[in-house]
Amino acid sequence: MEKVCVLGAGSTKYGKLADSIADITTQASVSAIESAGIDPKEIKASYISNVFGVADKQVHIGPVLMSRLGIPDRPSLTIESACGSGSVSFREAYANIAAGFYDCLIATGVEKVTHTGTEWTTTYFAYCSDFFYEGQAGASFPGLFASMARAYLTEFDATEEDFAKVAVKNHDNGVLNPKAHMQKKITVDDVMKSAVVASPLKLYDCCPFSDGASSVILCSEKFAKEHGGDYVEVIGSGRGGSPAALQGREHLTTIPSTKIASESAYKMAGVTAKDIDFAEVHDCFTIAEVVDTEDLGFFEKGKGIQAVREDRTKLNSDISINPSGGLKSKGHPIGATGIGQVVEVYDQLTGNAGERTVKDAKVGLTHNFGATGASCAVHIFQSV
Amino acid sequence: MSVEEQVIENAKKGKFLTHKCTKCGFLHLSTAYYCLECGSKDFEEVLLDGTGTIATYTIITVAPAGFEKYTPYAFVVMLLDNVKLRVSGFMANIATPADLPVGTRAKITGFDERGIIIEKQ
Repeated sequence: MEKVCVLGAGSTKYGKLADSIADITTQASVSAIESAGIDPKEIKASYISNVFGVADKQVHIGPVLMSRLGIPDRPSLTIESACGSGSVSFREAYANIAAGFYDCLIATGVEKVTHTGTEWTTTYFAYCSDFFYEGQAGASFPGLFASMARAYLTEFDATEEDFAKVAVKNHDNGVLNPKAHMQKKITVDDVMKSAVVASPLKLYDCCPFSDGASSVILCSEKFAKEHGGDYVEVIGSGRGGSPAALQGREHLTTIPSTKIASESAYKMAGVTAKDIDFAEVHDCFTIAEVVDTEDLGFFEKGKGIQAVREDRTKLNSDISINPSGGLKSKGHPIGATGIGQVVEVYDQLTGNAGERTVKDAKVGLTHNFGATGASCAVHIFQSV
Repeated sequence: MSVEEQVIENAKKGKFLTHKCTKCGFLHLSTAYYCLECGSKDFEEVLLDGTGTIATYTIITVAPAGFEKYTPYAFVVMLLDNVKLRVSGFMANIATPADLPVGTRAKITGFDERGIIIEKQ
């Protein structure tokens, strides 16, 4: 297998964006191309992740991007894997370079939904569940994660205030990220007093619906070395699956796909959870970050909440979790999120993370899943 | 009748249809086409009473389209009696966590535009 590197990365701001889905896809891609310092004609193909293009009247967005980049003859593949779409398009690009099919690819993720309003997004996002059993019975995504939170509160020594601390921590990090959607500090009290969305989760336990696009340039190690410039190496890549509906999971507080994907990625990279300096994890809701840090092996099952309580996941503590602000504060443009995590890792490992820099970081991990973790991908990166 | 229609027709009678693998005995939801344990495609139908206990739940206040008029309501995951199977459904008239402690006895009572209906026993 060829060694695979990330040669450049870029994002639009996340939030409520005025420009069209085609525009923001192109803006992020151009910033990745400029970050890599390559000519677009060196890109052999594209992998584009997007879930609700239909909301902005543009599906099959790959060829639109390639046309705008002046390379309409290059193939593209548009990928949907719910909120985990970005990491899947990254994986497909990774696998194609590792297999030797291509030496330079672009992976871009995008979502444009905020103009549709909360009811539309709540309704359509629920279509990513196992609809016959979940969405059809009135489950929203906050509701499904709230069901996990209720199970966690029942099974372990945890309080709603503990969950709130995850949100506070991620907002603290997001304030340091100029691309973040929610750039404001909050307190545990703010979270506890925010409106209940799906008990026990309140508004500030939930990530926002965001618009945004993120893009990375992947290439072979040979291409990166010949080209020069900053790059990071992809040392592990793993994917996994879980029963689509929560009801089918052995434990209601464990996401099997995270365990499968991370074990596979750790094995490929030859590292363990202890070797990870920082991680961008899928914190669509505060409960999710707690469960993720356990399933990724950073903390024992049931102990992730204690780590939050003891501030062990803050920036430059035991392990910096979501230095970007995470989905919670940076925002969650669902098709872009998985790529956005890689952008953060690239910025961290190439010394471009500014005030939110994780000190002396050498190894970073991204963890991104679809729906309630029915599909998941984990990637591990190393500075060069 | 499709597998989903069979679940619906039985739920309307307060019953829950499951599939038991005839090779290894593993019990599944009836929407499973292959056995999770042994991969067999041979199942026999087992009709359960649709009773159980609440394994977890949420009370939804911000609802998807069509459910606004029911808020607050609960989305529940119920562990069925005497088997290792859970099923999800809609439960009306739940306003606070005190209304529905985990472990509460419950039963499938129907199916309508709110999916599988589960009520407290």
